[in-house]
Amino acid sequence: MKLPISWLNEYVSTDGITPKELADKLLNIGFEVEEIIYMGDGIEKVVAGKILEITKHPDADKLSVCKVDVGEEKVTIVTGAKNIAIGNTVPVALDGATLPNGVRITAAPLRGIMSYGMMCSGAELGVDNNVIEGADVNGILILPEITPGSDIKDVLRLNETVLDISVTANRPDCQCVYGMAREIAAMLGKKLKPLHLNYKSISFEQTPTVEIKDDACSRYTCNVISDVKIRKSPDWLRDRLRYVGIRSINNVVDITNYVLMEVGQPLHAFDTSFVSQLGIIVRKASNGEQITALDERTYTLNDSMLVIADNEKPLAIAGVMGGEYSGITDTTKTVLLESARFSKGNVRATSRALGLRSDSSARYEKGVDYASVDVGRERALALFHQLKAGKVTTSFAAANRAKPQPKTVRTSAKKISELLGIDVKPNVIAKILKGLEFKVEIDGDSITAQAPLFREDIENYTDLAEEVIRFYGYDNIKSTFMSTAKTTAGGTDVRQKNIDFLKTLACNFGAYEISTYSFISKKAASQLILPQNSELRNQIEILNPLSDEYCVMRTQLASSMLNVVAHNFSKKNKEFRLFEVGKTYIARELPLKELPDERDTLIMAFTGEHESFYTVKSAVSEILRRFAIHPEQAEYGKKSYYHPGISCDYYINGENFCSFGKLHPSVAKNFGIADDVYICEMDLSGFISAEIPNVKFAPLPKYQTVERDLAVIVREEVPAGDIIKTARHADPLCIHAELFDIYRGEQIEAGHKSVALSFILSSPDKTLTDEEITTAFNNVLSSLEREYGAKLR
Amino acid sequence: MEESVKKLTAETEAKISECVEKADLNAIRVRVLGKNGELTALLKSMKDLPPEKRPEAGKIVNAAREKLEQAIAARQAELERLELAKRLREEKIDISIDIRPPASGGLHPLTIMRSRITEFFSSLGFVIADSPEIETDYYNFEALNIPADHPAREMQDTFFITENILLRSQTSAGQVRMMEKVKPPIKMLSPGRVFRADEADATHSPVFHQVEGLVVDKGITMCDLKGILDLFAKKFFGENTKTRFRPSYFPFTEPSVEVDASCSQCGGKGCRVCKGTGWIEILGAGMVNRNVLKTCGINPDEYTGFAFGVGLDRITNIIFGINSMRTVFENDVRFLKQFN
Repeated sequence: MKLPISWLNEYVSTDGITPKELADKLLNIGFEVEEIIYMGDGIEKVVAGKILEITKHPDADKLSVCKVDVGEEKVTIVTGAKNIAIGNTVPVALDGATLPNGVRITAAPLRGIMSYGMMCSGAELGVDNNVIEGADVNGILILPEITPGSDIKDVLRLNETVLDISVTANRPDCQCVYGMAREIAAMLGKKLKPLHLNYKSISFEQTPTVEIKDDACSRYTCNVISDVKIRKSPDWLRDRLRYVGIRSINNVVDITNYVLMEVGQPLHAFDTSFVSQLGIIVRKASNGEQITALDERTYTLNDSMLVIADNEKPLAIAGVMGGEYSGITDTTKTVLLESARFSKGNVRATSRALGLRSDSSARYEKGVDYASVDVGRERALALFHQLKAGKVTTSFAAANRAKPQPKTVRTSAKKISELLGIDVKPNVIAKILKGLEFKVEIDGDSITAQAPLFREDIENYTDLAEEVIRFYGYDNIKSTFMSTAKTTAGGTDVRQKNIDFLKTLACNFGAYEISTYSFISKKAASQLILPQNSELRNQIEILNPLSDEYCVMRTQLASSMLNVVAHNFSKKNKEFRLFEVGKTYIARELPLKELPDERDTLIMAFTGEHESFYTVKSAVSEILRRFAIHPEQAEYGKKSYYHPGISCDYYINGENFCSFGKLHPSVAKNFGIADDVYICEMDLSGFISAEIPNVKFAPLPKYQTVERDLAVIVREEVPAGDIIKTARHADPLCIHAELFDIYRGEQIEAGHKSVALSFILSSPDKTLTDEEITTAFNNVLSSLEREYGAKLR
Repeated sequence: MEESVKKLTAETEAKISECVEKADLNAIRVRVLGKNGELTALLKSMKDLPPEKRPEAGKIVNAAREKLEQAIAARQAELERLELAKRLREEKIDISIDIRPPASGGLHPLTIMRSRITEFFSSLGFVIADSPEIETDYYNFEALNIPADHPAREMQDTFFITENILLRSQTSAGQVRMMEKVKPPIKMLSPGRVFRADEADATHSPVFHQVEGLVVDKGITMCDLKGILDLFAKKFFGENTKTRFRPSYFPFTEPSVEVDASCSQCGGKGCRVCKGTGWIEILGAGMVNRNVLKTCGINPDEYTGFAFGVGLDRITNIIFGINSMRTVFENDVRFLKQFN
């Protein structure tokens, strides 16, 4: 909210305190001043000057030479202005002056005659007719007669400082000048001056009636003002509205806005000639009911929206905007002034549904308290009286629903002190609360505090504790270390430990971790050429996404990763390994009825000259080994975005939990990737929360191991990996087998290949004899012959 | 005889000292000392001497042999030394050249910071817990004392999946789940991902991370909150860091505070990092609202507690000097490598 210091000073004096000091103090009681606005900022050395002489410039037809009294001296100014006359008072920017647009004025010769300044237009000073009559003319701003030399900022009432204060959502009562004045008075230990609520009223022939038909309105009051004279508001009122960023319209509208800013009560003025029988009905609209609002647009309402109506038609959308025809015009003679309280939820919902916001709806959405209704109306009536904008009448009506009772909190200084952890005496507590208009009784240590009606945020002793510490000072909170708390054993759970371990492993492969958004584009599914029936298309949609780019929760991490890979390629980064451990969101049914599965998932991407299917496979194998996971089945990859011949799916319990391999060339193209990329995806949810079983130590061989090589010729389609596996299990002495070469070509029959492997033989309890070695070798060979029709090469 | 030995010795010694190749040295050894060598020949010729002179002659020859062998060995060692020195000289390389380091990989800065924070609180007895990212309205709002009409719902623009299911806008949602399951004493830390409908820019991201802390036990006070946050600030921003509480508002805590740490860049004097204030806002905190405790089945007259929520991304950016939230999620390899 915007708080002009001069307006504040009307209710509490801040003399001797700079705006900066005030801002610092406000921060300590919970109000952050986001900006200190100095209204006349940028205007320096501009004064009122009286024109004493005007003569024609000897060398220029369009220029005049003026002698101007600027207070302490008389200066010569050369001007091209046409609208000036001897005796006029005008703003003069002296030598060295600055204007709000940053322009700097210096003395300079104009066609041979020194000009010691410049006369200014309203526009050059950043003011319009709203500030001072004549500011809008095309020419120099002619001021009323003022002592020459007066600072123009005083003349134009630009010497105002405004605090732009951020008010937390629990304090709607501070969204107005008087509410902030109350806090500041308590803060400074000064007296809060009362609002001016005095007026005289006359009788009026007709009395309004009010009927409230819905709980969304808890109080509605209205008062007739007769003999209304629509005109311009006085300067002081228009200035104040200007300081808080509101445009002056006319005296009646200005009064309603002024009260909104000063006491936080939205008001609405109806022209009585449009209110049938002055009979106000507060009711829900009927479905399809239409109203043309002050913005000249027609809105179609529904039965959740509250309207102010007479017995014929809706007059206003309650708390949001008045109807076009019932509003104030230049011919308005009698006004029905509404001051009411509508529920913030209803106003918000209506405002949102209609896409219609106003200062009034913004205020209601924050919450208007019950007491403000009467304070706001009385303040407005006092202003009508003061401004002679109309005659206040005794013609008044009001209706209530559910009048709130002031809340009383019974507690003790001990409880408050215990929560804060410091000792605060009952009388100190009482003094602070009284300063905030609580009614307080102390009896020994016990405290009874009744909150004022505008403090709807107060519920229990913890709220009082906050009020106390805000003013007692948070500096008094000292560091202690939970001396009363029981000791607890901290730590991470198995899942988190395992994830950390997995990330360490991935880093060991030389991969860098990335972090990407959990929501992705719908387009990703087609980029990954997912078939229409793919489960990965069962994505959870966000109702209100920021954009199409981030509109569904991801069921796979591949598309996010590929975007990152593509981004890196675009930045000329080559040869890298990346990984992410993130969640995929798997719905049991769509639309969502219950919370979905959030599955921990790993994705890796390898790219570079030395990467291949086998480098990514080795990383996968290492992860599985470290987590003691043994896939039951391995098949060529079935996912649409993998190269069908250079990818693999691993299964456990019939579930494909891991896929890896080369990215499908079409998919690479869809992501704008030209280089080869190998990826791996692993659903961790099946094992990440389980402790990794302890390793069982295998005693180191005591006796010499023997290494033997073997090359066999098999048919092309026999997987070399299977040969290794068979060799490994062909004889109990064989403790290790690995592939070292595959050869195709001369000397090998077409459709066949030579697979060379080496294996290690060892016995736990003796040195092997030549005979045993030969037997084991033959066992390996014969196993391969039997299983694959292998022939020794 | 003696003359011949002397002459041969002198000649050979001269040759040895001139010798620059090990092979030549060997040739000299063979020629002079070998089976058919010149000195050996002299030894053999002793048989022509009278027997009484033979022992004397033998001594002379053997002394010469010994002397020459030593000279050869010495020369040999000298040649080897020279050869090694030459080799070392020739093997010299340009040490100013750098090659690409082995790819060591590394964690994302958010993970690094998250680990540091969880380790710190874990050592203070906090259990690290996780909770769902897709939440019900109940856990994200209702149970946290934010009923349907509450203005705080406006404070956070929330992503909705259905009317009742949403992307959690705060890790505080995890508080309630914890307190439903576990009764005091509770010391919990819940780091995680949260979502708000903010367009991505230098300081905002629709996806970001919070670390939520919760302590509930008998007699927990606001001073205890200050104590733990002081420790936290000193640990992460330096030993001389001070903290400041400012009143604020969160529906799930009462009283609520914003916590500032004295700026570690300027030590509180005011600089660009702290925008001249000397303070950097690091987290929001407060005493757990009684309504929240009640909702979770914990008696608020028996127990009190505090909660705090750290913006992980914010802390990470401050500590590492990262100047844009966008950079964090862009995952440029050149960015990622800097933290490892």
